Amino acid sequence: MNLKIFTIFFAFFASVVYAQNIDVRGTVVEASTGGPLPGVNVILKNTTKGTSTDFDGNFTLSDVPLNSTLVFSYVGFKTQEVTIIDANPITVNLVEDAESLNEIVVIGYGTQKKKEVTGAVSVISSSTIEELKPTRVEQALQGQVAGVNITSTSGAPGAGLTINIRGVSTNGDNRPLILVDGNVIEDLSVLNPNDIESVNVLKDATAGIYGVRAANGVILIKTKTGRKNMPLTVEINAFGGFQQTTRKLPTLNATEYALLANEAFAAAGDPLPFTNVADLGQGTDWQDEIFQNAAQYSTAVSIRGGSENQTFAYGSSIFSQDGIVGGNSANFTRFNQSLNYSLDFLDNFKFNAGVIWNYTNRNRLNEGGIGSVLFNALNIAPTIEGVRGALAEGLGNEVINPLDQIADTYDRGQVNRISGVVGLSYNFLNDFTAQVNYQFNYSDDKAKIFRPSRNYGSGKVFNVNRGREEIVETANIFRDYTFDAFLKYEKLYDDTHNVKVLLGTSIFKSEGFYRGFRGFGIPSNSIQDASIENATESESLFVGLPNNPFFDSRLLSYFGRFQYDYKGKYLLSAVIRRDGSSNFGPENKFGWFPSVSTGWVASDEDFLADNNFIDFLKVRASYGILGNDRIPTFAFVSTLGGEATYVYNNTRAFGVATGIIANPGIKWEKQKTFDVGIDARFLNNRFDLTLDYYKRRTEDLLITSPVSGLLGPNAPGALPPVVNAGIIENSGLEIALGYSNDPTNEFKVSARFNMTTLNNEVIEVAEDVDFVPGGAFSIGQDFPSRMEAGLPIGYFRGFKTAGIYQTQSEIDNSATINDNVRPGDLIFVDINNDGVIDDDDRTNIGNPIPDMTFGLNLNLEYKNFDFIAYAFASVGNDIVRNYERNERLTNRTINYLDRWTGPGTSNTFPRVTTGANSNILFSDFYVEDGSFVRLQNVQLGYSLSDDFLEDSTISKMRFYVSVQNLFTLTEYQGYDPTTSSGAPIGGGIDNGFYPNPRTFLLGMNLKF
Amino acid sequence: MIATLLVASCGDDFVDVEAPFENSDAFFNSQQDYEDALIGAYDLLQTTYINVMLGEIASDNTLAGGENANDVLGIQEIDDMRHTPINQQLVDIWGWMYSGVNRANFILEFQDKTDFPGKENILAQARFLRAYYYFELVKWFGDVPLVVDKRILFGEQFGLERTAKAEVYAQIEADLIYAVDNMPYVQPIVGQATKGSAQALLGKVYLYQDKFDLAAPVLENLIQNGPYDLVTDYSTLFENDNENNVESVFEVQYTDEEGAGFGCLQCSEGNIAVGFNGIRNYNGPVFESGFSFNVPTQEVVDEFEDGDNRLDTAILDIEAWAADTGATFATGFEHTGYFNRKYIARQGDANTGDANLTNPNNYRAIRFADVLLMAAEALNRGNIDDTRAQGYVNRVRERAFGNADNNITLTATNLTTAIYNERRVELVGEGHHFFDLVRTGRAANEIDGFQSGKHEIFPIPQLEIDLAGGIWEQNPGY
Repeated sequence: MNLKIFTIFFAFFASVVYAQNIDVRGTVVEASTGGPLPGVNVILKNTTKGTSTDFDGNFTLSDVPLNSTLVFSYVGFKTQEVTIIDANPITVNLVEDAESLNEIVVIGYGTQKKKEVTGAVSVISSSTIEELKPTRVEQALQGQVAGVNITSTSGAPGAGLTINIRGVSTNGDNRPLILVDGNVIEDLSVLNPNDIESVNVLKDATAGIYGVRAANGVILIKTKTGRKNMPLTVEINAFGGFQQTTRKLPTLNATEYALLANEAFAAAGDPLPFTNVADLGQGTDWQDEIFQNAAQYSTAVSIRGGSENQTFAYGSSIFSQDGIVGGNSANFTRFNQSLNYSLDFLDNFKFNAGVIWNYTNRNRLNEGGIGSVLFNALNIAPTIEGVRGALAEGLGNEVINPLDQIADTYDRGQVNRISGVVGLSYNFLNDFTAQVNYQFNYSDDKAKIFRPSRNYGSGKVFNVNRGREEIVETANIFRDYTFDAFLKYEKLYDDTHNVKVLLGTSIFKSEGFYRGFRGFGIPSNSIQDASIENATESESLFVGLPNNPFFDSRLLSYFGRFQYDYKGKYLLSAVIRRDGSSNFGPENKFGWFPSVSTGWVASDEDFLADNNFIDFLKVRASYGILGNDRIPTFAFVSTLGGEATYVYNNTRAFGVATGIIANPGIKWEKQKTFDVGIDARFLNNRFDLTLDYYKRRTEDLLITSPVSGLLGPNAPGALPPVVNAGIIENSGLEIALGYSNDPTNEFKVSARFNMTTLNNEVIEVAEDVDFVPGGAFSIGQDFPSRMEAGLPIGYFRGFKTAGIYQTQSEIDNSATINDNVRPGDLIFVDINNDGVIDDDDRTNIGNPIPDMTFGLNLNLEYKNFDFIAYAFASVGNDIVRNYERNERLTNRTINYLDRWTGPGTSNTFPRVTTGANSNILFSDFYVEDGSFVRLQNVQLGYSLSDDFLEDSTISKMRFYVSVQNLFTLTEYQGYDPTTSSGAPIGGGIDNGFYPNPRTFLLGMNLKF
Repeated sequence: MIATLLVASCGDDFVDVEAPFENSDAFFNSQQDYEDALIGAYDLLQTTYINVMLGEIASDNTLAGGENANDVLGIQEIDDMRHTPINQQLVDIWGWMYSGVNRANFILEFQDKTDFPGKENILAQARFLRAYYYFELVKWFGDVPLVVDKRILFGEQFGLERTAKAEVYAQIEADLIYAVDNMPYVQPIVGQATKGSAQALLGKVYLYQDKFDLAAPVLENLIQNGPYDLVTDYSTLFENDNENNVESVFEVQYTDEEGAGFGCLQCSEGNIAVGFNGIRNYNGPVFESGFSFNVPTQEVVDEFEDGDNRLDTAILDIEAWAADTGATFATGFEHTGYFNRKYIARQGDANTGDANLTNPNNYRAIRFADVLLMAAEALNRGNIDDTRAQGYVNRVRERAFGNADNNITLTATNLTTAIYNERRVELVGEGHHFFDLVRTGRAANEIDGFQSGKHEIFPIPQLEIDLAGGIWEQNPGY
């Protein structure tokens, strides 16, 4: 690394001597209760001189000039100013700020009062996170924030979630930038949600301060810290409970199955597979065999406190979740330790540091697709006895006994990770602050997979021969650091013109090193002995490559921000950032990303001052250009990373070949994003409303596009090039409406509702390409999804159906796909009316992107009881049913009981036959409406009254019961409408996704 | 008071990073570099499994089979001669063969960069491979863009016109003549192409163009001067312990040493066709399971004369086998009761997962028997010498029947027909029949649904036409 270090010197003259000064003493109390408020900031106005209140709310500030003003501020309370007229002790009553307009919002390299924010920023507080008890942080965002859509790739413990902010803007990487205390942490599974103080989501161009990679939005997570002069506070949060599946798909019982199979074989003139159906009875319900109740628990302890010039917070937690499929074989466990510490060396020279260590262990089962446990449970015959060792004969090559599969699976991933931040901040010349931050992550990812020798039935692809027991061990290391240095200037001129300037630089370096080995032959066939060392033969996973793969990806940025407001009423913010990324070639490494935003606090105008309806009204708008560089490294140069393996002298010989097809001209993807919104509060602050309209236009999309086979993109180890092509537009409306009221001291109510509309359209693909295909349906069929101009990205393309052919004459009088069509088969519509059914008749038959999403929270408190209910909904997204294997003897859902069996019997569900027919071709028959409403959380809590706790050291004790994912209203027939692969092209195809479990929890919060 | 803050700042060169792998433009600095790149060019031979399978399935030798009527649609459609420009297998062939061309051209682009003794042999192998891939391309698609001695780089894919087939053939011939002249009959490494491989392929290429007077001498030269002979016992020819035998003039090498998956079929080091051809859900001795594709028809079974020992090696009658051995199996789509015994999965390999994709059976691409029959055909059809032609055919037949009683004495067109029949039974299951029927003008009579003037070549995948700028006209009839 070519890092130059230089030094900046700042001269600072600090001491000013005042005449006629006095020492001020006093107490700060909470106006509503009269209780002392520790940790309140007391500042001599327009200076940096100040202190904070101690544990009893007392403070002393010496050398204060007479007739000067002290400013008392505390998060969650209205700031108060007091003029000092004599030396008598003063009592200051701070009033709670219900509006939370003074709530601090993190906006990137700084904070801002919510009132003055000019961008579209949503905040989730720690209380919301505490209420929701997410197993992962992302779940706390689901339905909580307008414009943020979360889908799970699987409901299995530890599985990842996909975050989309304001739609799918690229067919490349749509992940938002996620920063935890300024540190890039992409895998949120490592965080204990309990440690989180707040989550801020930057959705519009104001995220431009993060220029590069801000195009998909920025999520800023702040972890909990102590407060100054905070008494030692210990909190214990614990909950435990069990999970179960939300749904079992109704499959045929043994008798129904056998009768249907006979009918299908007979239809094709094949001999009947089941000659004696009478004795089959119900047979095995394989879903009953594999679904189970599974445990989940979490215990978290946090200790926080602070002195005059130090704060600290320590957290420790353990979380464990078993799988509703496989129990402990699918367990996810996480241990966390975190420490935050801050020290003010001087009033103007401050230090902070934080470290998070965690360890996760994830046991995985094969999930989500052919060969997954659920897929096997759905497709294995109910006539097979539901015990281990029963062979799934005759069901094709992939379907095996899922009980054996669970028992034989050993697939463990372990991550040891340490993340840290260190920061120094120095205030000088009153108005200047210089700050440096260093953040790092180091993670050591290990995985071990063992496949014992086992026969699952003749011809099964999962069979492992004796002596060929397979062991795979990987040990990858990832490390990155971010170094930020910036200078802030802030000054209020004439009490009217408030100017803030930020100038800074940031570097980011991320590296990964991959190592892994595969071995064969574990003579004992036992996991106890399974290791690379014990294998009879083994070699590197990367055999044939010149070296183990690694990556080194870097960013270099310079940024500036200018903020101005006139009496807090007219607001302006402008950002410019220059980013350089190692992912681009010499010509295109650097890009400029400007953005601007303005706001007008209309409620501060005289004409609204006397109004009884509106308490607060702000209109704001933003526009900016953001960047995206998330592409494979070194896509701009042709390197020898391909696979070149042939057989010389009866054994493999390894050579070299080119890898990714190089495109030297790739450059930044640019997103032009516009937002206009209002923030309002009315009717005595009981209601708050945020409205936003947004339009995001992504140009020069960085896509991995199929290219001409002439270039060799299909060679072993080669990849198609990354190109800049296409334009996508996302637009929509976001509404967030809140209501809160406490009509009596005993009763409080609050409710929050949000709604997002989303309109996604591909404007253009690439110059020489009409569409980009993707996804997979069934086996060996053409791509079911496409990115194509004029349509939403990843729309489903297949045949439109028009019912079922009832008679041969109907077939004779229409265009058909081939000569195999018989009465009872699906009618494919001849879209272009050319008399033949072919590929040209495939058309838009569905959209995986919802038209609208909703979220609703309800909070009630009555005396010592509290209740929350939280629901979210999605409307207008389609899902493709792709969890049926459609082998001749695989099981089916009970929908087949309503099949066509003769003229007039059904016009929706085709006949069954094992003969040649085209009903399996991708058509709207397989596309279902994926709209849903889910009651995600219901919780009832009881807190012991203060009287009861008076004599104990316990300050708070609360018990609660909670049900997560209680029910889902949907027409969708699969397991879970909220699951998706998250792929821009090919998402929304349900390969038998593992459902998100329903969870019953009992918990306790304790505070000392 | 003075505060000192350390601020790290970087020049723009902070984002200039070392690539994890060598830059391909800076390669070819040693003999080893050339040899390494040559392995890359050989690699794509393994993807020709699909060419071989479809060469049978498209003909009247076999049916598509598989699990059901929609199992790998592209294969089903080609079997029924209802294939269209949208066909994944044709996309595969197009892309894989051009990948091979590019890798061979990579070496030839830098052929002058570094000198060392023996370079001609490496360049000759590269040119042999380029010829092999281009020959497949013209067989399948007719006119194809011809690019020589340079890789096709990103941005250059637009505006490349299709080159007339004759011109591509001229390049193939030139490459093979160079290869014949610069390779030895025996290479130090088993698996590499030899002078004999190049002679045989050159003869074949001439034959495909009806250049009998050029085909005959090169093939006869090979017969007389090459180190090849027929394996005495035909039944041992296709077993895994008899690979690279004296009859193998060119053999595509496979191994079970490495795993493979459906996500990257071209990455497999195994013979994928063998798993696809295998018996469905088989449980019994000798063989192993597969996907029941490429099943021989009764018609091709009936083509064998009484006393022809080749039948039991070429065709597995699964019903009879099961009755004899107690083996069990499942019937797939278009079950004929027969399997392509030369290339179905056998027991004894490592079954590295996915076991269906990692069968180690080498593909005997050009057998000496094929060379003899090609020579016979050139001599006969070129009106050069029917007697010599009979001699070559009878060499093949004597092995087949174990005696000289079945030797032929036919001449002229009767001999031609006999040679055609002999090719069909000798080479059944080896991927030649469709192209033999096409090049001899017999396809329309033999293959159901075959339309003359259309099905001789396959459509260029629509996707490939679009991705190359949309300037190519589709092949006639599609």
